[in-house]
Formats: sequence, C-alpha cells, structure tokens
Amino acid sequence: MQHFKKLLAILLCALFIFTVVACDSGKDPVKTDPSKPAESGDPVDTDKPDDPVKPDDPDKLSLENIKIGFVHITDPSDMGYTYNHDLGTQKMQKELGLKDDQIINKFNTSEDETCENALRELAEQGCHIIFATSFGFEDYVIKVAKDYPDIEFCHATGYKAASAGLDNVHNYFGKIYQARYLSGIAAGLKTEKNKLGYVGAFPFPEVISGFTAFYLGAKSVNPDVKMTVKYTHSWNNPTLEAQLAQALIDEGCDVLGQHCDSTAPATAAEAAGVFHVGYNSDMRDAAPNASLTSAVWDWSRYLVFAINKLIAGEEIPVDWGEGLAEGVCDVSPLNDAIVAPDTAAKIEEARAKIVSGDWDVFTGPLVDVRGETVVAEGETFIEPASAPSWGYILEGIDAQAD
Amino acid sequence: MKVLNVIINLINAAVLAGTPLLLATSGEILTEKSGNLNLGVEGQMYMGAIAGLAGAWFAEQWFGTGGMIPLIIAVIFSFIMGCISGLIYSVLTVTLRANQNVTGLTLAIFGTGFGKFFGEVLGHKAGGFVAVGQETKAMFGNINFGKLTETPFIGTLFFRYNWLVYFALIIAVIMGWYLNKTRSGLSLRAVGESPGTADSAGINVTRYKYGATIIGGGLCGLAGMYMSMVNQKGIWVTDCVSGYGWLAIALVIFSTWSPLRAIYSSIIFGGLTVMYMRIPIPGLPTAIYMMFPYIATIIVLILTSIKQIKEHAQPASTGLNYYREER
Repeated sequence: MQHFKKLLAILLCALFIFTVVACDSGKDPVKTDPSKPAESGDPVDTDKPDDPVKPDDPDKLSLENIKIGFVHITDPSDMGYTYNHDLGTQKMQKELGLKDDQIINKFNTSEDETCENALRELAEQGCHIIFATSFGFEDYVIKVAKDYPDIEFCHATGYKAASAGLDNVHNYFGKIYQARYLSGIAAGLKTEKNKLGYVGAFPFPEVISGFTAFYLGAKSVNPDVKMTVKYTHSWNNPTLEAQLAQALIDEGCDVLGQHCDSTAPATAAEAAGVFHVGYNSDMRDAAPNASLTSAVWDWSRYLVFAINKLIAGEEIPVDWGEGLAEGVCDVSPLNDAIVAPDTAAKIEEARAKIVSGDWDVFTGPLVDVRGETVVAEGETFIEPASAPSWGYILEGIDAQAD
Repeated sequence: MKVLNVIINLINAAVLAGTPLLLATSGEILTEKSGNLNLGVEGQMYMGAIAGLAGAWFAEQWFGTGGMIPLIIAVIFSFIMGCISGLIYSVLTVTLRANQNVTGLTLAIFGTGFGKFFGEVLGHKAGGFVAVGQETKAMFGNINFGKLTETPFIGTLFFRYNWLVYFALIIAVIMGWYLNKTRSGLSLRAVGESPGTADSAGINVTRYKYGATIIGGGLCGLAGMYMSMVNQKGIWVTDCVSGYGWLAIALVIFSTWSPLRAIYSSIIFGGLTVMYMRIPIPGLPTAIYMMFPYIATIIVLILTSIKQIKEHAQPASTGLNYYREER
C-alpha cells in the first residue's frame, strides 16, 4: 500500500508537470533542423547536396525558401496587441503564399534573457528575417543581431536601430495616432457631458501620444470636450482596468478610450450605460451596446514590405512608420446602431485631410496644461522617428500624476 | 456634497473589489483551520473562473437562452471545479502527505495554466471573444432594488451591488457561526490546532481535513467566477484573476483567521487597492500609493505578533502534515 501511494504521488506530480509544460509550449512549434545531425560531423560544409530547398542556387532567397521568425510577448488569446500582430502575420502569409513551416512563432516570451534565447533559436533554425514585437525586446535584438550579420532583425515600437550601428537592425511602428484621432471623433460626437475618460497603461510617450491624438480628434468636432486620464501602471491587468474604468465613470465620464490590452473598459462602460472606444481589436462583440469603434493596426503592410525588400535584395529602411494613407492603421467598422449621427461623414472628412498629406494631427496652436504653447499656430509637430516621442499634456486633459 | 459622493463611490468600489477577496479568503480560512496551508488559491480561482464562464457559455448554447439557467450552471460548475482543485490538494497532502507548500505552489501554477489553456480552447471554439449574451451579463450585474437603489447615498452605499456581494457576506457570517458556535466547527479547529489531540478525542482528522479543504476550494472557485463573470462581464480575458488569489492569502493573515473580521478587512483591503484611482494624494508617487494594501498587511502582521493573542494566531498545525504513527 505504501509503495502504491508513493507511486501514485509520483504519477500525479508527473501529470502536473506534463500539463503545465504541455500548456506552455503547445503553440511553439520548435522543429529540430533535419540538417543538424549531419552538420555535427562536418561543420564547415554548408552546401549540402541533400538540402531539398536550395539545390540549384543555394544563395538565391525566394518566397519558396524564406524562413520568417516572430517573437511575441504573449499569445493571440490576449485579443489585443499580440492578437493583432498575429492577424498581420496570417494576412502576410496569405498574401505572399507562404507555407506554414516557413513561419516560426515564439509566443509568451518575456522581456528578459528568454527573449535572447528565443532570438538565437530562431536564428539557428535558419530564419532569414526575424520580427520582435515588444518594446522591451530591443536590447536583446541588438545583442543577438551582432552575432548574426546575415539575418535581418526588425523590432516594433523601438528607437535604437538608428544608433545601433548595425545594418541588419531595423525599427518599425506606425502613425497609430492618426487612427486614434479618427476614433476620437466618434467619442467627441457621442459624449453628452463633454467629459471623456481614458484608461492608460503608463505615463509614457506611446500612451501620451495616443490619448492626445484621441483628445484632439474629439475636440475637432466638440470644442468644449474635456478628458480625464488615469493609469493602471501595467500593460495588461484586466482587473485594474475594469476598476479604473468604473472610477472614471463615477467621475462623470460618459465615453471611455483606452490604451491597455483587455476588453474590461468596454464591458465596464456597457454595464454602466456609457460608451467606449477601443484599441487593437474590434470590441463590438464584447460590448455591443457600448463599443463605438476601435483604433486598429494592419501589421501585414510592414511584414510584406520588409520581406519583399529582403527577397529583392534591397535595403530595409532603418526606421519605418507609415500611417493611415498606407493602410497601416485605421478605425474598425463603426457600430452603426449607437454612434452619433454624422460620425461616419466627419471621420471620412478627417481621413481625407490626413491622407492628402497636407495636414497632420499635431498641428498648432496647441497649448499644454501649464499654458505654454507647445506647437505654434501654423506649425505641425512631426515625429522624428517611428516610435512616438510626444510627451506634452495638453490643456483640457486632466492626467493623473505619476 | 462632491466629497461625500467621492467617498460613497469609493466605498462602493471597495466592496466590489473586496467581494472576490472575501469569498477566497473565507475559503482559505476554512482550509487553514483544518491545518492545510493551501497556497494554490490563485490556481483554484483560475479553474473556477474558466469553469464558470464555460458553464454559462455552453448553457446558453444548449438551452438557447440567457439569464437564470446559465447563471445556475456557472455557479455549479465553478464551485465543483473549485472542489476538485481542493480534492487534488487534499489527496496529495492528506493522504499522500506531500509537502503542503510545494503542493500549493504547484496547484497555483497548474490552475493558472488550466484556466488559460481552456480559455484559449474556448476562444478557438467561439472564433473570437468568448462572451456570454446580454441576459446572462445582466444576471451578474447590479441588482435593481427599485426605489431603494435610487435613494441618494443609501442606495449607492447598500443597494448598488451584484448578488454575489450579499452572498459572500452571508457565507462569511455562516462560516463565523460555524467555526465558533457549532460542535463540528470546534472539532475542525481542534484538528487545525492539534490533530493528534483531536484524533485521541475520536475526531476523524482525515475527514475534517478533506471536507474543509474541498469546501474551501469550492469557495475559491466561486471567487474565480466573480473575476470572470462580474469583473470581466462574462468575457474570457487572459490574466483575469490578476493575482487576487495571492491577495486572498495575504488577507487571511490580515483578518487573523476569522471570517467575520475578513468582512471588514476585505473591504479595507479592496478599498486600499482602488483608492489611488479615486483620491489622488498630491506629491505621493503612484507606485508607493499602490503598495498600501501590502504595507497594511505587514503592519497587521507586526501588530498581531507583538500582541500575541492566541485567538488571532495561525492554527498551530498549519502547514504540517499529520502522521498518526508519529503522534
């Protein structure tokens, strides 16, 4: 009996470990390189005749033999940032006609040495181009890129590629503030109390640039509008997001915007009978009575662009950040049942203005909370790089102190 | 008037934040009273969270209706799933005498993975958001007491909650009564303090440990259901439990192993977690402000260990497995 109990204990523990490990790496198709064992005997032999992919011209990179790696901070079940990026991957795959085994995803990679390992694994697995999608990956990308000069590394939301001094490191992001501006129009027309609320993640330029554009969009159609911003101090904490949304609603905000990952602000708004503008994903299914629209990305634009450049043998730009005109970002379909009348027309009007290239969101006169003019009349603030740097809190925005 | 409104809204938010903590804390107190130190509350809550949501979601599909039936199924599923997690813990620690700390931590990791895994499975099945319908959402929303809810101040203070708030209060009161006023509760406390003595007195130690841990796990499961069904309004969101399971364990200490004290301490604790959003203190960095609940826990720990009141102490055998042969 005693032996049986011990055996059972061991078995149950093994089951635990198995389940945990199986859950973690369920979506992580780490395939062993078939050429590895042969290589161990003769490491210098790179032009193996038995390599099925490139028998004729081993150096010629094409859509048939290119391998693409991705490193993501979470997995698509977040229904937010990673979900959106993965949608872009799928669209890119379809557009370029790639096979499933040409794309290797590393999900749930934290912003520490795990990222370095993931990048090295992708490089060793023969990826020709690797996309790292989270801000905190940047230092690891630069570190690993030094060791693999033949592989292209593209990092989203970062800013260090220009100063890294490496030809194979590139940054990319997009002018999401243009989409934020359009989504702000929907909020500005909908609010009755002229008080918007905004659930932010961190007091950080990417967030500040986003809510400023959102506010300016609202203000363009509703000059009296004010906005309150509060931070969760986390990119993803659904419980805090729900509580923060409720705090904003209790202060009298009747349309909420958000820069955080979950649907919690949308559902909190719906339960309280107010409205909401989302980010990253179309949230109409989550809160059909509250979600007006969302600012969303189409990452496939960059992925296709970068991969085509690589195959054509051209230089990938060191920093890339396109916007509304190129279809990199946009607003998701409007929730026609609840948006204010005229919303679609006003959004189209603003879109035409931005797409024409004559005008951009941060056009003066813009005055900050201390009463100082940060962008003079007739001037336009243009982001110097793809990663946002805008850090001014404008008049009319009540942002929680850090 | 405005200040009063802010305070009343803060209390309202504190109660809502404190309710899942109260449920999980009650469950954990019951568990610890039997001498089992279960650190797996976070995992148990995840299991309850996904079971409750899956129950409601499938019930809507099976019966083609929202509202009461999905609600009942969500409650049953999450409670049973919580019980199963308690059963796993009991089998490992009581029958097989595995180390309680390690088992609890493993359960926390296992349950978290369990919740996220099946959340994703469900997401693929739903092809997007796993979301319940409006009628079911409404069942987990605030109860409409009619005129009472509309009464200024009083309405917000007492009648602007979902049913789980009142349910959690009743559970805590019943548990206080059970532990302090019934013979069975006395036996349970005896098991937690000194299982050897309890065994000599003819109390079935194994049965009490199993019973308390399983029911306690069930309550943690219900707390998890609160996170997915009330906080997230019936939508599966990864990380929906957000560390509340760990908070509940801290709160057991904060309320010094008493379900009745857990009532107000969970409200205070909940209030401290949401206060930074509502009452800004000029000059105080938010990062420090957000530490308040934990600073309070440390202070309570220090105070209780200075005063050395036996009634406020951890049950003596908590964390130790009982070997009858070594009595």
